[in-house]
Amino acid sequence: MKLVKEPIKNKKLWIVLGVLFFLSVPWYLPTGSYKPMILGLPYWAWIILLDTLALSITLTIALKKLWITETDKTEEGEE
Amino acid sequence: MDQELAFGGASGILIMLIYGLIMLAIGIITYKRNKQVRDSNEEYYLGGKGLSVMVLFFTFYATQYSGNNIIGYAPEGYRAGFEWLQSITFMVLVIVGYLLFAPRLYVLSRKFEFITPTDWLKKRYKSKGVTILGALLMLYGLGNYLLEQFVAVGQGVSGLTGDTIPYQAAVIFFIIIMVVYSWLGGMRSVAYTDTMQGFALLFGVFILLIGSILYFEGLPSATDYMEAVAPEKLGVPSSEGITSWFSLISLTLIGAAIYPQAIQRIFSAKSEKALKNSLVGMAWMPFVTTGVVLIIGLIGFHAYAGLDSAESEQLVGIMANYIASQNTLFYWAMILLFGGIIAAIISTADSVLLTFSSIISKDLYGGFINKTAPEHKQIFVGKIIGIIAVIILLIIAWNPPGTIIEIFELKFEVLVQVAPAFILGLYFKQIHTNAVLAGMVIGTLLAAIMTFAGWTPFGFASGLWGLLVNTLICVFGSILFQAPEKEQQHAQEMTQV
Repeated sequence: MKLVKEPIKNKKLWIVLGVLFFLSVPWYLPTGSYKPMILGLPYWAWIILLDTLALSITLTIALKKLWITETDKTEEGEE
Repeated sequence: MDQELAFGGASGILIMLIYGLIMLAIGIITYKRNKQVRDSNEEYYLGGKGLSVMVLFFTFYATQYSGNNIIGYAPEGYRAGFEWLQSITFMVLVIVGYLLFAPRLYVLSRKFEFITPTDWLKKRYKSKGVTILGALLMLYGLGNYLLEQFVAVGQGVSGLTGDTIPYQAAVIFFIIIMVVYSWLGGMRSVAYTDTMQGFALLFGVFILLIGSILYFEGLPSATDYMEAVAPEKLGVPSSEGITSWFSLISLTLIGAAIYPQAIQRIFSAKSEKALKNSLVGMAWMPFVTTGVVLIIGLIGFHAYAGLDSAESEQLVGIMANYIASQNTLFYWAMILLFGGIIAAIISTADSVLLTFSSIISKDLYGGFINKTAPEHKQIFVGKIIGIIAVIILLIIAWNPPGTIIEIFELKFEVLVQVAPAFILGLYFKQIHTNAVLAGMVIGTLLAAIMTFAGWTPFGFASGLWGLLVNTLICVFGSILFQAPEKEQQHAQEMTQV
């Protein structure tokens, strides 16, 4: 089995993950602020949730598209 | 908070018995189907490297999420408010940790037939020091992790059933069940029971959410209430909150993925496709697990305002109890929740115990003490030492030594110190064996000393400081004292994928 694509070698992926990591903590928002409330949640909770959602999407793409081995290729060929 | 418990007594005992019997049955069926399971390390500890995507996903899930993710995290949400959103993020970040090493390690594990995480260290560094120290650090971390699960299962059972089932009886009952099914079928039993336990955990969390919304009103009224009485729980956290948030997500990013029991699951995958797809699933589970638990904690703040820190620890029990007293349907639903919480704890403990035994069997006994021992003997020794460890941990759980209790609190801090050797070794042939060893020793000592002394400079956890120093020693040590050409060549061959 040989690795054709390895996620760790993809620079763009780590830039995206790095940015999402730093934005996942609300250091850039004013302390104590919570208005406007949207659907019962403070505005910043939505920002954090969306950021975390983006992390999960990025991970899904990375696992599916950036991690390829030779067996994947042969399996695909067989299918 | 004294309350008449709605679901203590006979029904509590009944659900525990049924639950224990189902797990036993899974163990027996697995054993009957795979009678040779105890003759080879690969069969016993890795389920013959044949876990399919669904089983693999659930065993990852049930191993990573324990009872504490419900009974401990809801009170965190209660006390911290929206700051505890971090519990969703850090559980997602665990998967980023896997991306750092899983693809390459999986390929290597097939090429060199790894059974334990230490096998990789042994193959890569060919150093007794690194292998033994790595194995010991993992054993130590695993032992303490197991201890934590034992304490949790006892407290969970006696707390949720209003002490109908005394703490000790509950712990012993579940440990015996757990040991029997693990012994019967090894990783297969553990993974199949994890599948059932994972379902139970998910079901329990959702049923509690539904009950909370129905009987304590929903999240919007909880946040309205919060705005009136405790707006700080709604607001963006202060700088201290932000620092501890960064500290926690950084530690889990590296630490949780490197758990030895998690690594062994990578080795157990039937195919790389199964591994990838189960990790994809894991990237989404935080939303439906820790996210849901956060909502429950926030609703709990509205329902039971004014609990102090110790009282709030009982939050899930208090809420479940109230919901159970509403009608028969919810009464049984809450009993299932109780089963789900116990399931979550046991499914973490069984995986930890199995990995613990595998390190004893293969790395220490088979690797150094009796190199010619056949595999079934290695497995036997691993089981026996596992049991002795369980007994010692139980004694500690019930008679905690007063003065050195902190040494049992070191888990993550110690486990995470294996990460540089593990991860850097995968990608850099220049890494010097002695630098790795020195980094591990100094990182561990530093993390331990800082934990005992309670130092957290700039608000960052002691484990992170240990990890930072450890990594720096690995990197700069390797630059200053270059690894000999021969070692580099060996490393090149080892990491070729």
